[in-house]
Amino acid sequence: MYEKHIMICGATGCLSSGSTKVSEALIEELEKHGIKDKYRLVMSGCPGFCEVGPIIVIYPDEVFYCRLKPKDMAELVENHLVGGEIVERLLYKGPDVEAPARFYDTIPFYAKQKFNVLRNSGVIDPESIDEYIMRGGYRALSRAMEMEPQAICDEVKDAGLRGRGGAGFPTGVKWGFTNKAPGPKKYIVCNADEGDPGAFMDRSILEGDPHAILEGMLIAGRACGADEGYIYCRAEYPLAIDRLKKAIEQAKEYALLGDNILGYDFNFKMNIKEGAGAFVCGEETALLASIEGKRGMPRPRPPFPAQVGVFGKPTTINNVETLANIPLIVKEGGAAEYVKVGTEGSKGTKVFALAGKVRNTGLCEVPMGITIEEVIYDVGGGIKGGREFKAVQAGGPSGGCIPADLLDLPIDYDSLTKAGAIMGSGGLVVMDDRTCMVDLARYFLSFTQKESCGKCTPCREGTKRMLEILDRIAEGEGIPEDLETLDNLAHNIKDSALCGLGQTCPNPVLSTIRYFRHEYEEHINENFCRSGICKPLFNYKIDAENCTGCTACARACAVDAIKGEKKEPHEIDQELCTRCGSCIDKCRQDCIMITRVGSEADVSN
Amino acid sequence: MEKFIDHCCEKCTHTKDKPCKDFVKCCVEGPICHEDPACADKRKAIIEMVALDDDFVIC
Repeated sequence: MYEKHIMICGATGCLSSGSTKVSEALIEELEKHGIKDKYRLVMSGCPGFCEVGPIIVIYPDEVFYCRLKPKDMAELVENHLVGGEIVERLLYKGPDVEAPARFYDTIPFYAKQKFNVLRNSGVIDPESIDEYIMRGGYRALSRAMEMEPQAICDEVKDAGLRGRGGAGFPTGVKWGFTNKAPGPKKYIVCNADEGDPGAFMDRSILEGDPHAILEGMLIAGRACGADEGYIYCRAEYPLAIDRLKKAIEQAKEYALLGDNILGYDFNFKMNIKEGAGAFVCGEETALLASIEGKRGMPRPRPPFPAQVGVFGKPTTINNVETLANIPLIVKEGGAAEYVKVGTEGSKGTKVFALAGKVRNTGLCEVPMGITIEEVIYDVGGGIKGGREFKAVQAGGPSGGCIPADLLDLPIDYDSLTKAGAIMGSGGLVVMDDRTCMVDLARYFLSFTQKESCGKCTPCREGTKRMLEILDRIAEGEGIPEDLETLDNLAHNIKDSALCGLGQTCPNPVLSTIRYFRHEYEEHINENFCRSGICKPLFNYKIDAENCTGCTACARACAVDAIKGEKKEPHEIDQELCTRCGSCIDKCRQDCIMITRVGSEADVSN
Repeated sequence: MEKFIDHCCEKCTHTKDKPCKDFVKCCVEGPICHEDPACADKRKAIIEMVALDDDFVIC
C-alpha cells in the first residue's frame, strides 16, 4: 500500500512546460529521503488547467500544485510528504480566488465543469487497463455483448448523442445505417485527425484515457456488425499513438480485443493509421482515401460511408469524443443518467479547448446549454489583462465568430448554428478589443486556402479570390464593392464546394461581416484599423498630456522610433515606426493611442 | 495475482484463448464462478494499491 499517490500531468501540454524534469527532480528528492517506495508516481492524463502547468495532484489529500519547477520539489517533499504541511506558495493563486486554492472544490476553473468524457483523465494511469476496469471500464462492452445490435443503436439514438466532430449528426442513427447495410465485412473508423488550430480535445482524451476509445469502437463494432477498426490519428500526436498501441496490446491480452471477445461470437481487429497532417484528411471521405493509401482527397456523397466506406465496405466514422461518450451511455443505467445533462436537442457535455486572450487557457468539459459568458468568465476567468471581450471564434476555421452581445447564447448545436457559428470539434478562440476582425477572417481563410486539397474549383479558386480581397482590404486598398463580392463568393463556395470543409470555410468571413461590418467599412472607406493590427491603416501616437516620460516605451522600441527626455512627454517618429506594438504593451499609463494615418485625432487605446 | 488477468486460483480459467463472459465484472467484484475470500482479497489488494480514494472504484 502506498501512503500517497502523486499524479504528475504527463500530457503533451505539461510535458512541453517541463513536467518530465519536475518528475525527475521529485524522484531524486524522494530517493534522497529514502521514501520513494512509500509513494506511487503516475504520469497521468491532462487535468485540463494547462495555463498553470506543470501540475501535480496529491491523493488522497487532493492537493493541487501548479506552475511547478524542478527546484520546487525539495520543498514539496520536505514539507508536504515528510512534514504533512501543504506548501501554500505552490497552490493555485489568482484574481478569482481570495486565498490560495487546493483542488476542484475551490478552484473556479473547475466549478462549472462536468466530467463525463474526461472522467478518467488525470485520475488513472492511462497505461493501466486494470485502472480503467476499476473505473467501470469495459462494463458497457460486457453489456453490449448481451444486446441485439439494433438495440444498441436505439439506445445510443435515444440518449441523444450527436457527433462531436463538427456536424452533430445523431450517432445512433448513423450506426443504424451501417447496421442495415448489406455485406459481411464492415469497418469502424475513429477520426482522430484533429486539425483545427488551437484544438487539442481529442489528443488529451487519447493520451489520458485510451481504453475509452477502444471500448467505444468495440461497442460500435458490435452495433454495426463490424469486425475491424481503424484509428486514424495524426502523426504529430506521438504520445497518443504510443498510448493507443499499449492499450491495444493490453486489451488483446485481456481477451477484450481479437477473436471471441469475452467468449462471445464477436471478433474485432484494431489498426492504427498515422496521418501526415493534412487538414482535409479530417473530412471523412478524404480520411477513408488516406487509410486506403491514396492521396487524401474527398469524393462526392452519396454514396455515404455507411454504404461505401473504407475499401468499398460499409463504414461508420466517429470522432474521438463521440466514441468516449459511448461507454457512459451503454453501461447499465447509463442512458437514463446521460440524458439528464444538456438541453433538449443537445444531450451530454462538450469538451472545449479554450485559447486566445482568456486568462485560463486549457481544456474544459461543460454541460451542453451553458452560456458562452459562463465558459469565458467563470471557467476561463475572463479576458487577459482585464481588457474588453470582443468575440469568440467557435468551431475553428469552419466555424464563425460570436460577438459580445451574444454572450448569453447557450452552447448547443442549434443555438450556435443559428448564430452563424458551429459547434465544430470544440475549439474556442477568445478575442479582446485589440483583435481586428478583418485580420481574423484573413487568418482563418489563409489557413483553409493553404489546406485546400485543390480537387474542386469553388474551394481551390474561390478561397484564393476571397483571400486576395481580404489582403487588399487589410492593405488599405479595398473598394466598397468588395463586401458584396466577398458575400457572393462565400455563398457560391458554400453551395458548390465538394466537401464539408470547403462548404464551411467561408464561415469566418461571413460571420465577421455579419457582426463586424462596420470594421470592414472602416478599413475600406476610412483606411482605418481601430484594433491596431493592419499596419498600413493606423499610427501610434503618444498622448503628451498623460505621458510621464518613464522611457519604458522608448526602451522597448527596437528601431529607436520613440524620442524624448526622461520625465518629459515622448514622441513617435512615424517614418521609423514599424507598428510592432512593443511600446503599447509596455506603457503603464495607457497613453499610447491608435490613430488614423495622417490624423491628429485620438481614437482609442 | 498482480494484475486482473492473473488467475486467483486454479478455478479461474480466463485466458485470451478461452475467455470468460464474466471477466470484467469479476475483476472488481469477483470471484464470480466460485466463492473464496482469499481470491476476493487478491482482487481487493490490486485495487487498494492504486485507488485514489473511496470513490475510485465504479461498479
